Amino acid sequence: MASDEGDDGPLVGRTDTLADVQSDLRNVGPGGTSAVFVTGESGVGKSRLLRETARAMGDAGYSVLSGTCLDIGDASPLHPVLQALRQYEPDLQQWDQTAGADALLDRVSRELRTVAGDKHLLLVLDDLQWADRSTRQLLLYLLAGLGGIRLSVLAAVRAEALHGAHPLRRVLAELRRLRSVKVVDLAPLDREQTSELVNAIAGDGIEPEDSDRVYKRSGGNPFVVEELARDLRDGRVELSDTLREIFLSRVDELPPHAHAVVHAIAAGVEPVDHTILAKVTKLAEDELLEAIRAAVAHRFVASAADGYRLRHRLVAEILETEVLPAEAAALHRRYAEAMEAAGTVDHARLAHHWQKAGEPARALPSVVAAARSAEKLYGFTEAHRYWSLALDLTTESAPERTELLAHAAETAHQCGEHQRALDRLSELARRPDAPSECALHLLRARYLAAAGRSATAEVEYELALRSPDCTPQQRVSAAANLAELLLHLGRYADAYARATEALDQAAGNGSTRDLVRASAALGFSSAFREDPDAGLAVIRHAVEIAERSGHPDDLGVAYLHLAELLAGPLNSPEEGVLVARRGAERLASLGAGRTYQTRLLAIAGNGLFRIGQWAEADAVLETAMRHRPSGADAVELLLARCRLWVGFGDVDAAQRDLDAVATLLAGGGARHVLPMLTLRAGLAMWQGRHAQARAAVQRGLTETRSDDLVLLGVLAWHGLRAEAEARAAGEPVDPGAIRRLKTVVGRMAEGVGRAATPVRAVIDGYIDLCNAEISRVEERHDPDPWQRAATAWDRRNQPYPAAYARLRRAEAALTRKSRKPAAVLALREAYATTTAMGARPLTAEIVSTAQRFRVQLADDIDTVEMTVPGEDDGLSVLTQREREVLAAVAEGLTNREIGERLFISERTVGVHVGHIFDKLQVRTRVQASRVYLTAA
Amino acid sequence: MTQSVWGPVRQEMSDLLQSHPDDVPAVVDQLTKLQDILGRVPPLLQENPLCDFNKLYLTITESVLERLYGGKFADPAFLSRLDVEFAARYFDALRAWAGPDESPRCPRVWAGLFQRIPGPDCRPLPAACAGVNAHINFDLPFALVTTFDHLGSDPIDDSDQHHDYLQINEIFAEAIPGLRRGYLDKWQLLIDTMNGRLDDWWQGEAVDYTRNVAWRNAQKLWGMRHDMSATDKERAHLDRIASDLGKLLLSPLGEFLQ
Repeated sequence: MASDEGDDGPLVGRTDTLADVQSDLRNVGPGGTSAVFVTGESGVGKSRLLRETARAMGDAGYSVLSGTCLDIGDASPLHPVLQALRQYEPDLQQWDQTAGADALLDRVSRELRTVAGDKHLLLVLDDLQWADRSTRQLLLYLLAGLGGIRLSVLAAVRAEALHGAHPLRRVLAELRRLRSVKVVDLAPLDREQTSELVNAIAGDGIEPEDSDRVYKRSGGNPFVVEELARDLRDGRVELSDTLREIFLSRVDELPPHAHAVVHAIAAGVEPVDHTILAKVTKLAEDELLEAIRAAVAHRFVASAADGYRLRHRLVAEILETEVLPAEAAALHRRYAEAMEAAGTVDHARLAHHWQKAGEPARALPSVVAAARSAEKLYGFTEAHRYWSLALDLTTESAPERTELLAHAAETAHQCGEHQRALDRLSELARRPDAPSECALHLLRARYLAAAGRSATAEVEYELALRSPDCTPQQRVSAAANLAELLLHLGRYADAYARATEALDQAAGNGSTRDLVRASAALGFSSAFREDPDAGLAVIRHAVEIAERSGHPDDLGVAYLHLAELLAGPLNSPEEGVLVARRGAERLASLGAGRTYQTRLLAIAGNGLFRIGQWAEADAVLETAMRHRPSGADAVELLLARCRLWVGFGDVDAAQRDLDAVATLLAGGGARHVLPMLTLRAGLAMWQGRHAQARAAVQRGLTETRSDDLVLLGVLAWHGLRAEAEARAAGEPVDPGAIRRLKTVVGRMAEGVGRAATPVRAVIDGYIDLCNAEISRVEERHDPDPWQRAATAWDRRNQPYPAAYARLRRAEAALTRKSRKPAAVLALREAYATTTAMGARPLTAEIVSTAQRFRVQLADDIDTVEMTVPGEDDGLSVLTQREREVLAAVAEGLTNREIGERLFISERTVGVHVGHIFDKLQVRTRVQASRVYLTAA
Repeated sequence: MTQSVWGPVRQEMSDLLQSHPDDVPAVVDQLTKLQDILGRVPPLLQENPLCDFNKLYLTITESVLERLYGGKFADPAFLSRLDVEFAARYFDALRAWAGPDESPRCPRVWAGLFQRIPGPDCRPLPAACAGVNAHINFDLPFALVTTFDHLGSDPIDDSDQHHDYLQINEIFAEAIPGLRRGYLDKWQLLIDTMNGRLDDWWQGEAVDYTRNVAWRNAQKLWGMRHDMSATDKERAHLDRIASDLGKLLLSPLGEFLQ
């Protein structure tokens, strides 16, 4: 809907909005990004606002990229962003040679970074309601700061789209909670503004009743107001009342050729290329140019470097209802023919035109091509829609239908449309050339398991195993998958049996993949059945097999399972960390398996956090983030890193990662919401915001399954701790919340007996902490429950909660004035642990407790003069790495030189410098250096 | 915005509607505050029909929250999201309401109830039911589709989510004692007085399946959710049907439900 610049009417009633939008865009959040979404009805002036803002920001030194989403129903993945990039690099090559979705997003980010240079980037996207799923995911990825770009997004969304069930509705609802995101609702003009606009266009001296009539007819819609005001100016008597009639009467006044041009553009996908338009209208060059000029003069068409557009989509929508179906079909056919003749690669557009031309058979090849190219861009949602479209275009008797059904089912499964996947599969089963019975059962089982229908999936796996046409390979695969499913269901004995069955038959028959899968299931089920050594041996063997095959996927899966088993059920986090890091290195040496490397490093990071080696955990997570993960992997890493920030007491960094997680989760998913809420509660407690912590826990409790005792345990502990802290701070506690939390603790105590041994130990640890917090809420000052909790967490090799319990144990004893020597010992032990970890807020609490009770924490420390760590110099907000970077900045080194010295990329240095600036609230390197030198 | 719709509570109303609750406890909180404000809208005060609906809705949401805390649902993440998304649509309608003929963005079915706030008075049960009608027959299918889409699953019969969803029927039955057998016969009579369009939609099922009608409509919408114009058409269609039913409930005919 863009139009020629300078051809716009005066901008009325938007001055404040314009200023607000600009300031909101400048006001980036902790992640260095911001977004403004402008909503409003058609014609209310969204595109105009985008244009004006882009111009102003461009003048202010921003690098501006603009794109528009298409309303052809099935656009190709990432269309608007790639379109925007092509303005800078017209020969942007094909985007389908990337390895994995992470790599694709990384690559788009890299291109955007190149365009931005050292400027802040403003990405302007119009008609976002038509954006494909991939584009929405990319936006969230960038806004979460994962692309490493300082970026602001300005997007327009039609208000009508948000009322129904549009996915953006939820996305915006989630995003608007972030401080860096604003949703601006653009209202129609009021009576006075309308009159101002009318006068500005038609000149003063317009009768008030005339401008009142304009207001009534237009409803304050600026686009319509402008048109009606021009009528007044030109002395045209406008008799019609509806928008439709107003515009149709104007179309009728166009010269015949211009009329044809307008209709042709209305049927096309904008922007319409000149040569294509010539073929579609079948006008000679001179005639065409004259017709276009007339259409532009009558304000219907706008011309830009990349082609022609209608001045407003509203006009296209009105014309659409006016054109005879046969006329429309003919236009689309001419578009399709012209595009084919020009050798287009835009399969999506071509498919659109053939389809609208009523030529399904000719649409089919481009639909299939569009599906394949969407798959290459990991746009499974879009691919699924193309495969479905292809099915709509073929009849039952078409031989290619079998293959199309298989593709449609698989992509439906990939993009989470489970029911659709199953429906396609049933249709596939009825085909004369359907896959074998066993293959169908296997597929059905996989789709059912993904849909969470485990019982039915189990039946399908068994049917697969029993079907007569089952090959030995399929049998191994079925048994291995079934074992995995049973493991997830907690049926360890059954899982063990199936995994054994799979391994027995695997020799010589199974793929390495199935072998590894079966071994993992066997290993985990053994561990859960209290035969950990046997389990460990099996999975170690699987790693050996994977090493022999040398395939990155096999290696990745095998190492993942081994590391998880060690770090989790077997309670040997040190060894788990070792294995995870070795696996990641191994894959890195192969130059493959980026996703597996990321996941392995996440396991290592979590393990290191657990055993209290936080500085090391920080380094590992940083390396993992350099793989530029996306989706669930990115969320998990951000959560792990955020947990570290909360432990370190780095509030800003924690807030930044929490915002990034919330941004990614705005795209959907439920699995990570609870860890996010727990961290939110933990952070709020360090900040003394007990009500916030309470709210996060309450929400968590309403969204946790009643059988997920570990999650409930974490939440209940946080909730009770928040109440206890509130009580200690002399703030009101919430009796209702305490009652509910106690119920949860009761439920845990009741259910813990049914949990598997390794899980039971964790749940018990939380029950201990919960009971101890209850005694604290009730001000019983009882050291015993805390002592129990400390011992329990020692056993779990988790020094952090153990140190916390020791602090509380000491506090209770010292308050009671009983067993003082033991209390002092506990306090000193806790102090030693937390200082070694760098757990600043907890250390601060220990120190202040020591001061309160006049306890000397170490022989050589004078406790009275001790200040709270973290307030000593101005640099305490920085991480270790950031201090190193800052020191180098103060030496006057460039980013490249710093990168070379610290063995990190120049870009990473840039990110660090950005964070340092944010944290120290400075704008230049000189200012930052000054802060450093003052502190040093 | 016209200033007069909410009368003396205008400012409070607009302040309250500034916030967008994102969990069930916050929804309950918002409905509680709303109840207080609505009870002060003249001239009917606590007798106004929206007050009747809001009170019922508050009771129902409180029961949902209690069951969530009690761990009674198989997929609480789903049910919480649904509840939040569902309520958001009621709050959206309130936000869009600026008086008759001034509220192009307010669904007709809600406008029908809202414009009765100043009177004439109608009996509490049909008034509450008119709100339930708008909320269930119009808002619910869309809320379901949005929730499923957001959580990356789909509306499958007999799934955990479906069973959780049906649990809410019990809550409704408890909250509206009249919504039992005797009432149902009358309701059916009411339906019968409508012409065929409603019959089609109703498919001859009784009221405790109203919510199942919404489930089925959600499944239908699910299939077309990528097609914006088809979704818009269906939305207008549902709005039309539901507002016809709403009008009936608020007419003198509706009183015999009481």
